[in-house]
Amino acid sequence: VTQTESPRTHLPGDGHMWVMVIGDMVVFAGYFIIFMIYRAMTPEAFLSSQQHLSIDLGAVNTVILLTSSWFIACSVLAARSGDHERAIRLTYGGGLCGTLFIAIKSYEWWAKITDGHTNSDMFFSFYYVITGVHLVHVVIGLIVLGVTVRELRNPARRRVSMVESGAVYWHMVDLLWIVIFALLYVMR
Amino acid sequence: VSVLTRSGPKADGPTSDGKPDVWFVYWIFPGFYAAFGVIICLLTRVTPPPRPDITTADKIAFFTEHRTTMQIGFGLLLILLGGAAVSNGIVVYHMKRMTVGSVFAYGYLGGMAVGALPGFLLVAACFLTATLRVDRNPEVVGMLYDLGMLSYNGSLGCFSAAYLALAIAILYDKNGIFPKWFAYVSIWQIVTEVIATQMFVFYSGPFAWNGSIAFWWSVVVFSIWLCALIALLKKATAREPADSPALD
Repeated sequence: VTQTESPRTHLPGDGHMWVMVIGDMVVFAGYFIIFMIYRAMTPEAFLSSQQHLSIDLGAVNTVILLTSSWFIACSVLAARSGDHERAIRLTYGGGLCGTLFIAIKSYEWWAKITDGHTNSDMFFSFYYVITGVHLVHVVIGLIVLGVTVRELRNPARRRVSMVESGAVYWHMVDLLWIVIFALLYVMR
Repeated sequence: VSVLTRSGPKADGPTSDGKPDVWFVYWIFPGFYAAFGVIICLLTRVTPPPRPDITTADKIAFFTEHRTTMQIGFGLLLILLGGAAVSNGIVVYHMKRMTVGSVFAYGYLGGMAVGALPGFLLVAACFLTATLRVDRNPEVVGMLYDLGMLSYNGSLGCFSAAYLALAIAILYDKNGIFPKWFAYVSIWQIVTEVIATQMFVFYSGPFAWNGSIAFWWSVVVFSIWLCALIALLKKATAREPADSPALD
């Protein structure tokens, strides 16, 4: 709260959300480091399993989440300038992208499981856990966007810091996915 | 008791406010977890966890080697386990002081209480049975090893529900009993606990019950959560006016 009062050192959102975001990235960093350690132990096995992931689906989901972050960033700008209707519409756009991401990820899981790529394979056990935990974060993100919409709808509320906090969380979800996409899909 | 309660906050904390009875219950919380830590780490050897991928003979050897300390440790835990209930009680007390009403407090209470049965009690029963009924079939004793460890480390759904109730209550609360960031830390707890369910499938690797992800990284998050909770309960207890009316 104290930081937001000074325009020169403005911290978007509230400090509590930043504790969440930075801490969450530390927790994920732990998963990424452990993944890299196990990958370094059996690089051939990880590479051959990785061939079964669809890099196209991963790329489509990356574009979807980046688009959602663009919606949310524009929504913050709209909320700051007092255009709440536009901010609500843009937040819905971000949420729609998030829903689409979940749908594509669910299809990808279903396709992999029916192809027999279960968590009996070390690479895929990491894949299911890391993308699964990320998926939980997307679902929480949709709830956060719902809270943002509720905030924007109520003329008595409409606190910009709340909208910013929601956006900070959503951008974290996006950022984590980019790292996951690089680690699991792209890195050869 | 009244002597203890009056001297508690003055001797141990810089604050002079808060209610004596609440302070008394508060100090049971770190006291119980300190005793619990000694029991599980030093006496009963369930933390750090023994390996899941050993033979039945090795499991028998594990029970034989630590027989005496296990019996002392889990015998003590059977007596002290009520401390977990009292520790939950102080959290529930402060949750009931929130503006959200009692419903989340009851959710937390129920989740933690049910979770403690497989989470603490069943492993004590399994390991005490294994060390006190040594004439049993080795395969049965080996099964008690698996059952005890899986129950102790993998029984996390009720705890997750409790953390969720706590997180939602904190986010909705307008009395500022706990800071909002603690709600988010509680949400990490849910995530790490859900990941730990993987340990039922794996015998080794990062997702086994002694794995780097399913166990160790979760323990780090749990330790942060627990230390934060102890510190925040102290603040919340200190900030409660001593003359505020009793809760329903």
